[in-house]
Amino acid sequence: MTTTGELTFSRVHRASPELLFDCMTNPEHLTHFWGPTGTTTPVGNIVVDLRPGGVFETTMVNDADGSTYTMRAVYVEVSWPDRLVWIEPNIEGGMRTTITFNDLKDGRTEVITHQTNVPEAYMSAEARAGFATSLDRFEGYLETLLS
Amino acid sequence: MGTVCGVAVVDDELSLVFAALADPTRRAILERLAEGEATVNQLAGPFAMTQQAISKHLKVLERANLISRSRTAQSRPCALEAEHLDAAVDWIARHRQIWADRHDRLEQHLAALQARDKGMTP
Repeated sequence: MTTTGELTFSRVHRASPELLFDCMTNPEHLTHFWGPTGTTTPVGNIVVDLRPGGVFETTMVNDADGSTYTMRAVYVEVSWPDRLVWIEPNIEGGMRTTITFNDLKDGRTEVITHQTNVPEAYMSAEARAGFATSLDRFEGYLETLLS
Repeated sequence: MGTVCGVAVVDDELSLVFAALADPTRRAILERLAEGEATVNQLAGPFAMTQQAISKHLKVLERANLISRSRTAQSRPCALEAEHLDAAVDWIARHRQIWADRHDRLEQHLAALQARDKGMTP
């Protein structure tokens, strides 16, 4: 029995870690491949605030019936061009996604995606901190508008 | 940090399953139960653990519906509830497919970028 609620997915691309990291974090790129299959994610539906505590949201539109689904995540680690970590607090008890960009030094890069359901106690502390940061920032932004 | 807002306590079945599976002793208990029913006594044997410690693990597994315990026999033997494990396996398969498809499309996108760059060089 090897099931632990973890998933590791690896793929080698013929591109640099820098380009691949940008593809995973730039809405202009993400709109071309984010999916999932059967859905489209228009560039205007992608919010990327690329820093720890920043939001990563994508609203996918179902090609068949136009219904939408929004993925809401918070970045936990942003280490260009090596590592990217985000947490989706509201998915199946909290899900953590880690993407590692491993330079193979021959023009290719191995992209390793590791997803795990995180125990709630652990997830909450980290995600709450992230959301609190976002809310603080949002409040700061509102203040600049009002002053 | 002031208020903790908007973080609902998500207590769905799958997260209970994954939390239960996160512990190596509990996974070993499930492996043992895959071979057939066992009492707390029988389970405690190979683990060098007290019955009390094993009982704690069994409670977590029972709460996640990964095992059931007979109410009739006094020894209350434990049995594996395999369909809840299947839910966890499904989760992994589903997410693996999403990432595989995503990387297929990323590969096409990279090819398109390369073609464009080549087209732009004189």
